[in-house]
Amino acid sequence: MNIFFQQLLNGLTLGSVYSLVALGLTLVYGILHIPNFAHGALYMVGAYMAFFATGSLGANYWVAMAASAAAVALLAVLSERLVFHRLRHAPPLHDMIAAIGLLLFLEAVIQAVWGADFRRLPSPYPQIVRAFDLTAPAQRLMIIAAAFGLMAGLHLFLKRTILGSTIVAMAQNREGAALVGIDATRVSMLTFAISGALAAVAATLFAPINLIYPAMGHLVIMKAFVIIILGGMGSIPGAIVGAMVIGFAESFGAFYVSTDYKDIIAFALLVLILSVRPQGLFTRGVR
Amino acid sequence: MLRLDGVTLNYGSFRALDGIGMHVKSGELVVMLGANGAGKSSLFLAVSGLRRLASGSIKVDGDEITGRKPSSIVQAGLVQCPEGRKLFPEMSVKKNLILGAYVYRNDKKANQRMLERVYGMFPILHGKRDAAAGSLSGGQQQMVAIGRALMGRPRVLLLDEPSLGLAPLIVKQVLEAVKAINEAGTTVLLAEQNAYAALQIAHRAYVIESGRIVMEGDRETLLGDERIRKAYIGA
Repeated sequence: MNIFFQQLLNGLTLGSVYSLVALGLTLVYGILHIPNFAHGALYMVGAYMAFFATGSLGANYWVAMAASAAAVALLAVLSERLVFHRLRHAPPLHDMIAAIGLLLFLEAVIQAVWGADFRRLPSPYPQIVRAFDLTAPAQRLMIIAAAFGLMAGLHLFLKRTILGSTIVAMAQNREGAALVGIDATRVSMLTFAISGALAAVAATLFAPINLIYPAMGHLVIMKAFVIIILGGMGSIPGAIVGAMVIGFAESFGAFYVSTDYKDIIAFALLVLILSVRPQGLFTRGVR
Repeated sequence: MLRLDGVTLNYGSFRALDGIGMHVKSGELVVMLGANGAGKSSLFLAVSGLRRLASGSIKVDGDEITGRKPSSIVQAGLVQCPEGRKLFPEMSVKKNLILGAYVYRNDKKANQRMLERVYGMFPILHGKRDAAAGSLSGGQQQMVAIGRALMGRPRVLLLDEPSLGLAPLIVKQVLEAVKAINEAGTTVLLAEQNAYAALQIAHRAYVIESGRIVMEGDRETLLGDERIRKAYIGA
């Protein structure tokens, strides 16, 4: 029972982190209609910003998370302004090449400053929570709570506020949005800022039970792509459900099959689900 | 109220609009007649700032709007209800209408009044206000599109083929609504293929062919013109 519960908790933790990353990716896809390969680099930079804020500046964990979210949001907006906005009339392939260039550039910058070594971010809650014969690390519970809190907040923002609706409107009909006077530039910047902040928060939440290194974004972004393809490109509920599916598949797969195959499971699932439902699980999401 | 001079638009090497000159006076209802591909939609998209002109000038109330962003043109009082409606299909009818008032988003009271006016004009939309806009019938979607444009409080309203694909009875309803909007004081430029029905409610009309204005005149002149009857009315 306890072991099963552990796997459930692990799956939920992984799913929570993947959701936050995949949500940012799917929001940007809804606006730009390109896959932003640089999103994994934003995640990585987010972890380093938190590491720098707690380690070198001695900031509190939560302050570091807020600072990291703000810094990465700014970085994401800059990437929109300096790179993607300028390519808006170019063929989509150019955006993809630019996104990969941005990914390599950010990794190189981080490696030049902090080196290629593995780093650790100390957990603010190293204790173990016990209840009904079950044990759970407090950090994992916090990840789940924070991620679900953020998702609920994002949902309310997109559904209930006019500002949030502009993002959904532009994803559903770009010209329709322009014709009611929604400024595409502002919506793009807002979307990038949100996606960057979500990536940074995900990285800061996950870092205490993981390692920080320049290539840490690779596997996460690959899985985030699997998730949004599974869930339907641009779909918000699809991103959350897809992330949970991958999170649980990984945690249970690692336990019942083998830890060695943990990272393959996501891709095996992708092949499996797409051969049955090529349009993804949720084709009618936010778009 | 709306004045175009020498408006030229290219798609690559194809000239979609060739020196269009036209005007709509304040309070007028002007119809733009033309076949498919004549340039009506290109013209409308250019006026709303969604296509970049090669040359020419577009003025609203004497203010130059050429080269401005679509959002700034809406703020200048020129709102378009586009061909194909371009609604937000997965949002509710009400949300679509509310977003129509996006540039006046802080004036909640006035927006609520506008919303009541739109519901008054199209009572069916009040019943369907929580339904996804994409789930409505074509005629109802057209009402949402017109309502959404009205929520932007246009001084000049551009309507691009609102009757396209609708049943004859619905076409009549939609055109009557357009007439009512005009009579309430909004200047209207209406693009139509359905020449006979459109001319019934119009003050004046232009005929566009291959990106050029080939004829203009008041309702009676055009209704009586042999070429118009042959080409657009079929009688």
